[in-house]
Amino acid sequence: MLEALPTAFLFFLGALILPVLPRGPARAVLLLIVPVIAAFLVYTLPLGNLVQVEFFGFTLDLMRVDKLSRIFALIFCIAAFLGNLYAWHVKDLVQQMAALLYAGAAIGAVFAGDLITLFFYWEGTAISSVFLIWARRTEGAFHTGMRYLVIQIGSGVILLAGVILNYADTGSIAFEHMELGTPATWLIFLAFGIKCAFPLLHNWLQDSYPAATVTGTVILSAFTTKLAVYSLARGFAGTEILIYIGAIMTLFPIFYAVIENDLRRVLAYSLNNQLGFMVVGIGIGTELALNGTAAHAFAHILYKALLFMSVGAVLFRTGTAKGSELGGLYKTMPLTMIFCVVGAASISAFPLFSGFVTKSLILSAAAKEHYYIIWGILLFASAGVFHHSGIKIPYFAFFAHDSGLRPKEAPWHMLWAMGLASFLCIAVGVYPAPLYALLPFEVSYDAYTTTHVITQLQLLFFSALAFTVLMRTGIYPPELKSVNLDFDWTYRRLLPTLLGWIAKPVRAIFQGLDTFKTRTMKGMILHLYNAFGPRGRTSQFWPTGAMVLWIAILLGVTLLVNYAS
Amino acid sequence: MDNKTPDNPDKFPALGRALLWVEKPGGVEKIVYALYVVCAALFAADFLYHKHSYLAIEDFPGFYALYGFFMCAALVICAKVMRVFLSRSEDYYAPKDVESEPFPEDQLDKVDYDA
Repeated sequence: MLEALPTAFLFFLGALILPVLPRGPARAVLLLIVPVIAAFLVYTLPLGNLVQVEFFGFTLDLMRVDKLSRIFALIFCIAAFLGNLYAWHVKDLVQQMAALLYAGAAIGAVFAGDLITLFFYWEGTAISSVFLIWARRTEGAFHTGMRYLVIQIGSGVILLAGVILNYADTGSIAFEHMELGTPATWLIFLAFGIKCAFPLLHNWLQDSYPAATVTGTVILSAFTTKLAVYSLARGFAGTEILIYIGAIMTLFPIFYAVIENDLRRVLAYSLNNQLGFMVVGIGIGTELALNGTAAHAFAHILYKALLFMSVGAVLFRTGTAKGSELGGLYKTMPLTMIFCVVGAASISAFPLFSGFVTKSLILSAAAKEHYYIIWGILLFASAGVFHHSGIKIPYFAFFAHDSGLRPKEAPWHMLWAMGLASFLCIAVGVYPAPLYALLPFEVSYDAYTTTHVITQLQLLFFSALAFTVLMRTGIYPPELKSVNLDFDWTYRRLLPTLLGWIAKPVRAIFQGLDTFKTRTMKGMILHLYNAFGPRGRTSQFWPTGAMVLWIAILLGVTLLVNYAS
Repeated sequence: MDNKTPDNPDKFPALGRALLWVEKPGGVEKIVYALYVVCAALFAADFLYHKHSYLAIEDFPGFYALYGFFMCAALVICAKVMRVFLSRSEDYYAPKDVESEPFPEDQLDKVDYDA
């Protein structure tokens, strides 16, 4: 019976049942059961188009299960489970429902076989996820959520425009491989690009993720961007421009990550950088590269969630996630520290951790297809990501200068969530065969060659050496309470200022008109008053009796007219 | 906030106590020297095995090591210069921004070991 139900509906059903249950463990358990059932279903589903619905003359494919959509749906289920376990303590119904609806919408979008279904779920992820930001319930978070919503909904509207144009061009709503060229495909590409945080379209990510609640950020980090990666892999694999977009994406966030103070924002920047690797893989578009993208997305969701969890736990216990305020927490939060280091090692692609067996697929594909400069950039970005995510996050949170904070270790459910995520990160790294088996294409790749292990270790240890040398010579920039201007400056500062400049002359004109109008009216009224008012000329000579006489005459005439007619 | 009360390490979790050696004098030096040794060994390893390379530049001895070191140093120095131009105060965009406002207390569970 459950086979006929689209996996997404399972989550929506859960969200419907949730408010009926009593507050407390019952709800938390439901939040855990739903992803487990969903993951089991996704894993056992046969491949093919399983559910079709008629909709205004269109046939919608709600469940297009193939190897590409399956691996993304599976990791989304795992991420939903880990995120909900991490959020076990949350009593806020809004966040709980948002988490379920958001995960469901993301999974629905991944299984969408046509563009209309994709559009619905695309907007679904936007609307459901914004509540995870608003749930912080502060003024700043409200405004951030608004900005997030505008951009996400904007992406959906652009997608819809693209879908409509595409239907006019081709007469088809199928979500298949597209070639860039027509306005329709460019619009769809742009919509995907916004959610994928392409350079200059990226700031919603760094703006909103650090603004969400402790648990909200963990859940946010998994879905939206990886849904965009999936959509690009499905629609635009082998589109060369993606290679260059991806390379820029890996590059510029690492500079920001080095100087950013809010550790959750550092992670958002490194998330952006990791997406770049996946986008490069999609752009190369060979089987090896697409395998790399899918595998890296899988590994990335796990270690990124793990890193957000560990920094979130610090925030949960201390009330801040700023590097300038933290330090020395290893003494009282050693387990969180160890899990953070596991996540850091995974994102840095240390041998035996998950990033090592997935990122290298993309780097190998770049080298094999002779994109040498791209390969060099990716290598630099790999070293850079170790620098700011691998070293900076654990160092400034748990070591560095002693902040004097002695928070208690994270609560048990957070430790379990982090422990499970750590286990998966290491399991994928040590034994990648089961992950490789899930990939869209056959894999004949061995990550553990002597050359690969030694060169990777050289890259990482010498990056660590650079960090140490810079730290000990005092060149390394200290963590300061500040914000750094990024492209969002254009719409948070420049645009309002420009609008202010345009508004000035417009306001002047309106005010001028207004003054002119008031003056003329005032003059007219004064003139009339002077003429007909109590002291006016006309009222000076006419006694009141004249009026009575005139009324009597008027009535008499009326009487005569009535009588005569 | 700094060092409000003298620490009582006995109240720390065992794992945290076990790690306290890094703060003892010489603890950091031990880690740094270990790093130097590992780096030297890895650099030397380049001469001891046959490298399977795609690119000519990979065959340069210690290419990955040097690339990692110098690119990272360049990264940090570039970022430091960027900060001069890009850094603003926390309430730059709005007086009540997520940067400058405290995280709502009711969503936290602050517990101190020494409280």
